[in-house]
Amino acid sequence: MSASVAVTGIGLVSPVGTAVDEVFAAVCAGRSGLVRPPEDHPLHGVVDVAAIGPFIDPESVIPPKEARVVDRSIVMAVRAAGDALADAGIEIGRDVDPYRVAVVLSGVGGLATLADQAVERSRRGRLGVSPFLLPGVLPNMAAARVAIKFGIRGYTSSSGTACAAGGQSIGEAMRILRSGEADVVVCGCTEAPLFPTFADAFGNALALARGWSDPTTASRPFDRRRNGFVLGEGAGVLVLERADFARARGAVVRADVLGWGATSDAHHPTTPRPDGASAAESMRIALRDAGLTTGDIGYLNAHGTGTKAGDTAEATAIRGVFGDAMPPVSSTKGVTGHMLGASGVVEASIAITAMRKGLLPPTHNLDDPDPACDLNHVRGEAAAARVDAVMSNSFGFGGHNVSVIFGSADG
Amino acid sequence: MNAEIRQFLFESLKVMKYSTADMDDDTVLGPAGADLESLAMAELALRVEDHFGVRFLEDEAEHFAAMTVGEFCAEVARRARIATAT
Repeated sequence: MSASVAVTGIGLVSPVGTAVDEVFAAVCAGRSGLVRPPEDHPLHGVVDVAAIGPFIDPESVIPPKEARVVDRSIVMAVRAAGDALADAGIEIGRDVDPYRVAVVLSGVGGLATLADQAVERSRRGRLGVSPFLLPGVLPNMAAARVAIKFGIRGYTSSSGTACAAGGQSIGEAMRILRSGEADVVVCGCTEAPLFPTFADAFGNALALARGWSDPTTASRPFDRRRNGFVLGEGAGVLVLERADFARARGAVVRADVLGWGATSDAHHPTTPRPDGASAAESMRIALRDAGLTTGDIGYLNAHGTGTKAGDTAEATAIRGVFGDAMPPVSSTKGVTGHMLGASGVVEASIAITAMRKGLLPPTHNLDDPDPACDLNHVRGEAAAARVDAVMSNSFGFGGHNVSVIFGSADG
Repeated sequence: MNAEIRQFLFESLKVMKYSTADMDDDTVLGPAGADLESLAMAELALRVEDHFGVRFLEDEAEHFAAMTVGEFCAEVARRARIATAT
C-alpha cells in the first residue's frame, strides 16, 4: 500500500451539521436533514423536500464591503476551508511556504445569485447589475476567496464535473501532491443549488423525489420505491498533505489517500451507462492506483442518489468489480440529500470517519432493497466493523465517474 | 445640487458598508482616504449614474479614486447640468 498523501483536516457544511463527528453521528442514527422548505425559503412551494444547510452570515467569512453580492456557495466554501485548516492545525506562512500550498475547490458556481441578478437586469436594465457580480458567482471564486483569505499562493483550480467534482478535486489534489508540486492542498467542493430555476430544471427532468408526505422518507437510495433524489446544499473541504510533510510537522493524520480513478461514460449527457462499465472501470483504476485488491476494501460509500437509473447502474458496476468480495455498501444521501459535487467530499469524510470509528453508517430509508440493486447493504442500524480501507464513489451529469480510496492512518 | 449629491454619496457608501463618520469634502475617495477599491468605485459610479442620469466612461474609475468627496460631487453636478441642458 502506497501512503504518500495524508488527510489532516476536514471542514464541512451540510444539512446535518458542520462538525464531521456531528455529521457522522447523524448518518449513523438516521437524523435526517430533509425538510419541507419553510415559508421564508426560496424553494417553498417549488419542491416537496430539500436538504437545507445551516445559515452562515457572509460577513463572518468575507469582508463586509465585499459580502453583499457573494453567492452562498462561496460563503460555505470559505467557512469549510477555515474549519479544515483549523482542524489540520496548519497556518499558511508559519507552517508551510504559501507557494507550496494549492487550492482545488470545485462546484457549479453561484447560479442562484446569477439568477437573481438576471431578474434585476430584466427589471432595471444595465444599472441593475452589480459590479461585484462576477467575483460573487464565478466557479473559480471559491478557490480564489480561500486563497485570498488564507494567503495561499500556489496552484489553484476548479473542476467542473458536476456531481463528480468533489471526488475529482480530491483526486487532483492527490496528483499534485504526488508530483511534488505542493506540500499541502486545500481541496473540496461547494454547491448552493436551492433556488427555483435550478430546482425546476431537475424537477422537470424528473430527477427529484416527489410525492412523499414525510419529507424524511423521500431520499431512498437502492430502495424499490425510490423515485428520485432530494436536492441539497453544502460544502466539504479536506486538507491533504504529503504524508512525510504532515508527519514531520507533527500533524494528526486522519487517513491516507491511497488511490483514485476517473473515467467517462461517453454515453449520454445525463443518463448513466446502464451496464455501469465506466463506473466500474473508475473503481478498478482506483484499486490499481492504491495497490489494493477488492478484498481489501472494507466499506464502500456509494454515490447512490435515489434515482432509478443511477442506483441500478452503480449497483451493476459495484457487483461487476467486487463480485463475491463485496464490501458493506451504503449511501448516506438518505439522510443528507444530494449536495451535488459537495456530496463527494462530505461522503469521503464520512467514509474516513467510519474507518476511524469502526462503525459503518446505514442507508437510511432502504426498507425494501431493489433486486436490481443487489449489494451487501448496510441498512437499519450502523454496523460495527474493523476497516482498513474504504472507497467513495461520485458520479456526475456528463458521465463523469470518480472513485477515491482512503486507508487507515494506523494501517 | 452639491449638497444633494453629497447626501446621496454618503447614503450609498453606508449601504456599501463604508463608514462615513469621519468623511468630509476633503476626504479622498480611493485608498488614500475612504479606501474605495476598484469595484466599489464602479458601484458608486453606477449608483450615481442611476440616480442623477449622468454617464461615466470605463476608464474614469481610477481618476475618481484620486478625487476628494467635494471634487467628485462638483464633477457629478457639472455632468448633471450638461445632461439636463442637452
